[in-house]
Amino acid sequence: MRASAIVEKTGIPTASLVCDGFVGQAAGIAPGLGIAGLPVARIVGHVDGQDLDELQQNLRAVTADAVIGCLTRPVDADSAASGLASDTVVARGSFDDVNAVFYERQWSDGLPIVPPTAGRVAAFLAQTDDDPDRVIGVLKPSGSAATVRNVAINGVMANCLPEHMPVLIAIAEALADPGYGVEHSGDTTGGDALIILSGPVVERLQFNCAEASLRDGYRANTSVGRFLRLFLRNVARCLPGATDKSTFGQTWRVVLAENGAAAQEIGWPSFSADAGFEPDANVVTVGRFTGSTVIGSIYGNDPDTIARYLADGLVRQSGWELVFTVGFSRGLYRPLLVLSPMVAKTLARSGTTKQRLRDLLFEYARLPAGKLESYIGAWSNMVPGNRTLNQLVEAGKAAPHYGESDDPERLVPIVGKPEDILLVLSGDPLRANACAFAGNGMHGFPTGKRIRLPAKWQ
Amino acid sequence: MKTVEEFEALWPGGVNAVPAISPAPRPVDLNGKRIGFLWDYVFRGDEIFPVLERALAEAYDDIEFVGYDAFGSTFAGDEHETLAALPRRLKELEIDAVVSGVGG
Repeated sequence: MRASAIVEKTGIPTASLVCDGFVGQAAGIAPGLGIAGLPVARIVGHVDGQDLDELQQNLRAVTADAVIGCLTRPVDADSAASGLASDTVVARGSFDDVNAVFYERQWSDGLPIVPPTAGRVAAFLAQTDDDPDRVIGVLKPSGSAATVRNVAINGVMANCLPEHMPVLIAIAEALADPGYGVEHSGDTTGGDALIILSGPVVERLQFNCAEASLRDGYRANTSVGRFLRLFLRNVARCLPGATDKSTFGQTWRVVLAENGAAAQEIGWPSFSADAGFEPDANVVTVGRFTGSTVIGSIYGNDPDTIARYLADGLVRQSGWELVFTVGFSRGLYRPLLVLSPMVAKTLARSGTTKQRLRDLLFEYARLPAGKLESYIGAWSNMVPGNRTLNQLVEAGKAAPHYGESDDPERLVPIVGKPEDILLVLSGDPLRANACAFAGNGMHGFPTGKRIRLPAKWQ
Repeated sequence: MKTVEEFEALWPGGVNAVPAISPAPRPVDLNGKRIGFLWDYVFRGDEIFPVLERALAEAYDDIEFVGYDAFGSTFAGDEHETLAALPRRLKELEIDAVVSGVGG
């Protein structure tokens, strides 16, 4: 649809081919692309489950006529804007009354929201030096402006505290960064955003980075995680059943807070330093991850053995996502490994630096070339034509080391380079476990933003 | 007697910041037109576009086609480069209408 919008703006008519289940999504994203209606030629069902005869029959019976219609008949254009402003009162009454309106208008996630009254919103705005009307960016698919004020409103709704406001603004800035790819938030595979928080602000705002660090139960982690999903719903308008086409999806993730003290104690750089910020910077990173697996009961103190076990977890979690390493977006796969501080301390005691661990993981997190080719080709058709890794190297779609031989059993890495593996220390400091997340490539590329605290930080 | 607290809640959305323009005018007849195919290189476009090309050629005696290879992938790693070059390529190739896919 993005291509069609560009074509229409040049004055050339388009027909956009869209599978049945995505016609509503196509209509929902047109306004954000600056076109008051993009005509769609529907494809019956979904192409992935049809044999060639069935596909050809459906195309001839339905899609071909629809293409002609799109290109030769006037388009129904809908440019109606909501007409609302951020200071518009949209619900009056009791807590239940307000919640009923917000649920009916699809502004809540089904849990009670805190009514965003002018007074509560003002308390949030007082925790930033930003102008309330500063436009942080424009979010797709809606094409709506993310502002400091609507950040505050959604923060109130999520049950955040006013002092979370600088963190919330940084999250909105990450979402609005073109490199993040917020427009993909409703993709079918449904990876969910994870907020990674690092810096002194973790302790200052009482984010949990110890036991159960990825579980609800701590207001800061839970409410700020919920804010992101509400903000996507209300400002980006990523709505389940319409613009959100995740097949399954997940509940929002609570904030993953880094245990910076543990990293400092063993001389490992912080997550923010890994991303190029100064070591003690307060940084929010937002990235989408498709799923996770726990690497349990890591035994012993031999760094090589530990690295092999951690690498095995990364490989087990990486399947079709490898299309972000080779194929349609070369080098954008960023798996995440969350280490409990005990694992990191054991490694550090043997002299293993964070970079050395990455190097070991790059060496050991490998799978047979033929299996990677199956993930991205025969099993998913994400790279059409069952092209081999060698062919992808020739086409510039894979790094040269993926094409060193024709042996399908040769082992190839899950990432292009060691630095593509993200490492965060968090979780129970007295237990040796880890958690591996698969990245979602450019569909929510990990994007870090500095948290700007107000001059009079309370 | 307890009183129920009353609230006035603000709109949580964002003002649309992308001015919408009307879609391009449509020709009544595709005869004499050149159709460009754009593909995002997923969801079987390599099998879909040939079928549509044959169907359109049967419906219109005087119609031409330019294949998706002439433009590049409209999705993922090549997306920004392809879309940035698209207005120029459409003009160079004298395209009158476009079929773009595949969404799924």
